[in-house]
Amino acid sequence: MSFALETVALADGGLPCHVGGNGDPLLCLHSAGGVRISPALERLAQSRRLVMPVFPGFDGTARRPGLKTMADLAELAAQVIDRAIGRPCDVIGHSFGGWVAAWLAVRHPDKVEQLVLHAPAGFRPEGVGGLVGDAATLRRLMFAHPENLPAEQKPAEMQAQNRATVHHYHGETATDRDLAARLEDIKALTLILHGTKDGVIPIASPRLLKERIRRSHLVYVYDAAHGIDVDQPPRFTRLVGDFLARGEAFIVNHTETGAA
Amino acid sequence: MKFNFFHLMPWCEANEPDQEWPVSNRNFIPEKGTELYRDYIDTMVYAEECGFDWVGCNEHHFSPYGLMSNCNLIGAILVNRTKSVRIAMCGNLVPLLNPIRVAEEYAMLDVMSGGRLIAGFMRGIPHEYVAYNIPPDESWERLAEAFELIVKCWTEPEPFGWEGKYYQYRAVSIWPRPYQKPYPQVLMSASNPDSARFAAERRAIMGMVMLPDLDTARESIRVYKETARANGWEPGPEHILIGAHTLVCDRFEDAKRYLGDGLEYFYNVLAGGPRTAQRLVVQKTRYFQDPALQARSAARRGVLKTTPIEERIEKGMILCGTPEMVVDQLKRMKDALGHGVMNINMKIGNIPNDVVRRSMTLWGERVVPHVHNL
Repeated sequence: MSFALETVALADGGLPCHVGGNGDPLLCLHSAGGVRISPALERLAQSRRLVMPVFPGFDGTARRPGLKTMADLAELAAQVIDRAIGRPCDVIGHSFGGWVAAWLAVRHPDKVEQLVLHAPAGFRPEGVGGLVGDAATLRRLMFAHPENLPAEQKPAEMQAQNRATVHHYHGETATDRDLAARLEDIKALTLILHGTKDGVIPIASPRLLKERIRRSHLVYVYDAAHGIDVDQPPRFTRLVGDFLARGEAFIVNHTETGAA
Repeated sequence: MKFNFFHLMPWCEANEPDQEWPVSNRNFIPEKGTELYRDYIDTMVYAEECGFDWVGCNEHHFSPYGLMSNCNLIGAILVNRTKSVRIAMCGNLVPLLNPIRVAEEYAMLDVMSGGRLIAGFMRGIPHEYVAYNIPPDESWERLAEAFELIVKCWTEPEPFGWEGKYYQYRAVSIWPRPYQKPYPQVLMSASNPDSARFAAERRAIMGMVMLPDLDTARESIRVYKETARANGWEPGPEHILIGAHTLVCDRFEDAKRYLGDGLEYFYNVLAGGPRTAQRLVVQKTRYFQDPALQARSAARRGVLKTTPIEERIEKGMILCGTPEMVVDQLKRMKDALGHGVMNINMKIGNIPNDVVRRSMTLWGERVVPHVHNL
């Protein structure tokens, strides 16, 4: 599956977006590491057209003066839906991107059809967890199966810039209280994914989301840490693909061929 | 020291050593079965009167070795007919079962009993895998995943889904939740270093029954404690359960004779069929991940079967004799291993039920008063 880097024209300039795949559009909001197209996402792109914007300041791009908060990024994502997709769509966000996706669903419920929060950041009560430690520690916290990671393509300088950009948008905030107070405003049917070995996001986070988002499903992915798509690719694509395709009915077991 | 009265519920009408697997049920007599269940259940209920702290059930399949194919059924009766003893489910064979069902049934037992459940998470002896057609190679992985899933069933405040290797559920919310918080005390088998490590990582009580000798037990306890400390907790005596075939009689000669005959029946008649299946499983699969454990297991079975009864007593493998002798044996075992729970199995093979009853009475009147404070 090949992805093209396109530029989406927004109100205050162009925004780079990786686009690839076939089917209904799926807006994918990246994590603190920037855009990473894992084999699991490639697999998802067999049935969905993935639109993956690069937030300003990530992956070698410049920050924008008017964009300072996670909610600002949600506004940017809403523009991407309007300009690059042209209609309400499903949204998936991973970690940092999950945080943005939650803001997007709160502020623009009319633009988000179904929502997948893949180990979202922003809801760490008492500051437990987070991206702390040296590179080796982080790798252990983030991946139960780091052997699945492809070789790092991004230069060290770009990785450092990505880390700094994360702080630009949310500083040291562990729990976004404003957003947490508005989770009940999310109207979209939501799938919350949490790896049983996630060392970045504490268990209280998915529980809070499950409690507050009215139409939500929380699924634990066994033997996965923070990067569930990397640790357990088939489980990730099975769950997300099934949820996006079948909505509420994804809790009902079915066979590919249907009943005889 | 706490004591668990454990019962296998053996079928004692078979007379020929049967090496086939599965053991044919053509000679099962339903009326005799009804009588046995009634008697066995009464015996287990009687354990409460005799000063036992726990009553233990277990799960076995496809042989006269034990008639408790679903130990939760027996547990439900015990919950209803006892008042204060803890109900120790030394089954369920978790890798063979639907973990959601295990979580639900254990929660039911815990709530119905007002928090008296000890929740056994057993891997099962090898032949059980043939009975339920589960690959023995998967036993450890299934147990590990099922454990995490069941704990989630017991502790999650909201409905959840599970996407695992062996188990997938999209929406789970069991009713009832368990009575004990955060969840019932877990018990796991730990008869070798691998299983001792596994139990300690999960803060389970370690259980070792049918000891070939005390050194083997000491090694498992060492590994268990070492692993527990590495995982941030310190086990106490209450986390270590040691099992022993036991018979208390008024005269030593009677205890020796009855237990000797019972053990012979147990090993030669009841255990024959399971042993055949066990051999196949151990030889053809990775039930034991470490080949050394496979050899040790075979050696252990040989020792258990052939060691003379006096030597078994001397080695701390069994408890046998008058009440005074058994008190001494218990004290020696406690000194040697430092455990806090004993699994007492008195219905060995075809020992007559009235002999078992007498043994229990002697236990309550003349053993317990001297050992409860150990």
